[in-house]
Amino acid sequence: MKQMKLFLGPQHPGMHGNASVHLYVDGDIIKRSFLLPGMLHRGFEKGMERHSWVNNISLIPRVCVVEPDINEMAFAMGTEKLLGIVVPERAHWIRMIILELARLSIHLMAYGGLGGPTGNYTLMYHAHADRNSILDIFEQITGHRVYHQYIVTGGVRKDLPKGIEKDIHTFIDSLESRYEEYRDLGIENPSIVARIKDTIMLPESVVWELGVTGIGMRSAVGKPYDIRKVMPYARYDQVDFEVPTSDYSDARARIDCKLKEVIQSISIIRQCIEKMPLGPVRVPLGRGQSMRWTVPKGYVYSPVESSRGEFGYYMVSNGGTHPWRIGVRGASYPQGLLGIEKYMPGTRLDDAALWVDTMGVCSPEIDR
Amino acid sequence: MTNSMSNVEYLKGVIGQTYKVLETDVIDQYQVSFVVKQDDVLQVLVTLKNAGWIQMSYLSAIDWPDENKFEMVYILMNWERPVHVQVRTKIDRNDPVMPSIITIYPGAKYYERECHEFFGVKFPGNPDYEKQLILELWDDMPPLRKDFDPQAYSDRKFTKREYSEDYKVLSEEPSKKAKRETRKERAESLKGGPKS
Repeated sequence: MKQMKLFLGPQHPGMHGNASVHLYVDGDIIKRSFLLPGMLHRGFEKGMERHSWVNNISLIPRVCVVEPDINEMAFAMGTEKLLGIVVPERAHWIRMIILELARLSIHLMAYGGLGGPTGNYTLMYHAHADRNSILDIFEQITGHRVYHQYIVTGGVRKDLPKGIEKDIHTFIDSLESRYEEYRDLGIENPSIVARIKDTIMLPESVVWELGVTGIGMRSAVGKPYDIRKVMPYARYDQVDFEVPTSDYSDARARIDCKLKEVIQSISIIRQCIEKMPLGPVRVPLGRGQSMRWTVPKGYVYSPVESSRGEFGYYMVSNGGTHPWRIGVRGASYPQGLLGIEKYMPGTRLDDAALWVDTMGVCSPEIDR
Repeated sequence: MTNSMSNVEYLKGVIGQTYKVLETDVIDQYQVSFVVKQDDVLQVLVTLKNAGWIQMSYLSAIDWPDENKFEMVYILMNWERPVHVQVRTKIDRNDPVMPSIITIYPGAKYYERECHEFFGVKFPGNPDYEKQLILELWDDMPPLRKDFDPQAYSDRKFTKREYSEDYKVLSEEPSKKAKRETRKERAESLKGGPKS
């Protein structure tokens, strides 16, 4: 039979962001596929070279649209490593609260996104409503809902507002109480289970071949390979949490790990609020000349565990006011480009959107 | 997990005994960088892969126009001994050729394609490194090279727009005006990349 060419995206409810997957199908089996990135290319790496270090703080959150805080953290940690700044104790804990709230928000969004390709929009509405509460908390803490520019070099921009702990507790309690409901709606729901069980496999050999990290790797390898665990940053070594793993690597196992991470994040936030000391939250960078602060010469790679895996900034400074080169390692780069080319063929056409969804492909960080 | 400092020592032993390392830099307990000769890179990567650094995290290039060199960087990760390794090497800028590493790390395929697109480095061994990836119908030099000026490119490519200035400061104290001018100057001086 003749092969037919179809496009998934850039305008498709199952596609995250403006990327397009070109599919060559025979019947409803995909025979050949590749991702066409570039529709979201905004030239960040060149843009960062043309802005001073301090101006970049407002530029970097835009790299990944749905999860901006990891960019701020990677940038801040990289510059701190180059400058040799010691961040105040309280700032570490506030950063962890922000990062874990962001993780909750992106996991909710990704889990709700499962509703699109499987036709269960109720799940998406519930998840987005809860995500909205997180954005409200962010608005109270940082003044912004999506791009916070809150984690800056030397600490965080300002201290937590009074009484925010109560709001956070209220939210995470309500989310925890609805956890079983979320499971019933999504991965225990027979109509969804039929679509995600035993399909879209990601075996261990493929993980090492592509370089997949994050939940995809942990569910295939079965070991707690999480940057927060193996090379802890901030104060992740002082909180008690588990890294969910699985020994069977189908789409359902990956989503299961994602949901278990939600519970772990809630536990981390509780511990942070409990253990957080009082004190300053930022060290000043220079006297009055913060627009012109220079960063010493050096090469540094600063990795952060994002919701999709290892996300890192490769930063090179030549000692000036501007970065010499900043490279962004998008967490979904391997599975988004090589993974779609090599391992999507063989799945059914209606599973293509699920493939992209459950592998955690995020086009803004591929294009940059 | 094993002791983190011993991981760095182990890594130094793996590389330092066999290859001539031009420069070693221990950035912290989780990160080490090696500068090696261009001919050694593939061997170093094979050695590291056999020693457990089985994940390639990042591949890119850095432009050093003053030295007339490109610097290639490979970042590898070993999850059992958690250390990120940067392997760097400098290659000629006029004819940048770097052998492909897709036989060692298959995941490098698209990184190399992107590197060719943004720096113009050639990767013999990678079957389709010359195909376009992100920049559609690009008609200029590779854009992440330092001598590419985006402002000039956009001036050439797009028509200039006229903006009307519909406000005027009628009477201003000279000191205030001078202050405003210096502020404007400083803001302008930060625009458009570092000034040499």
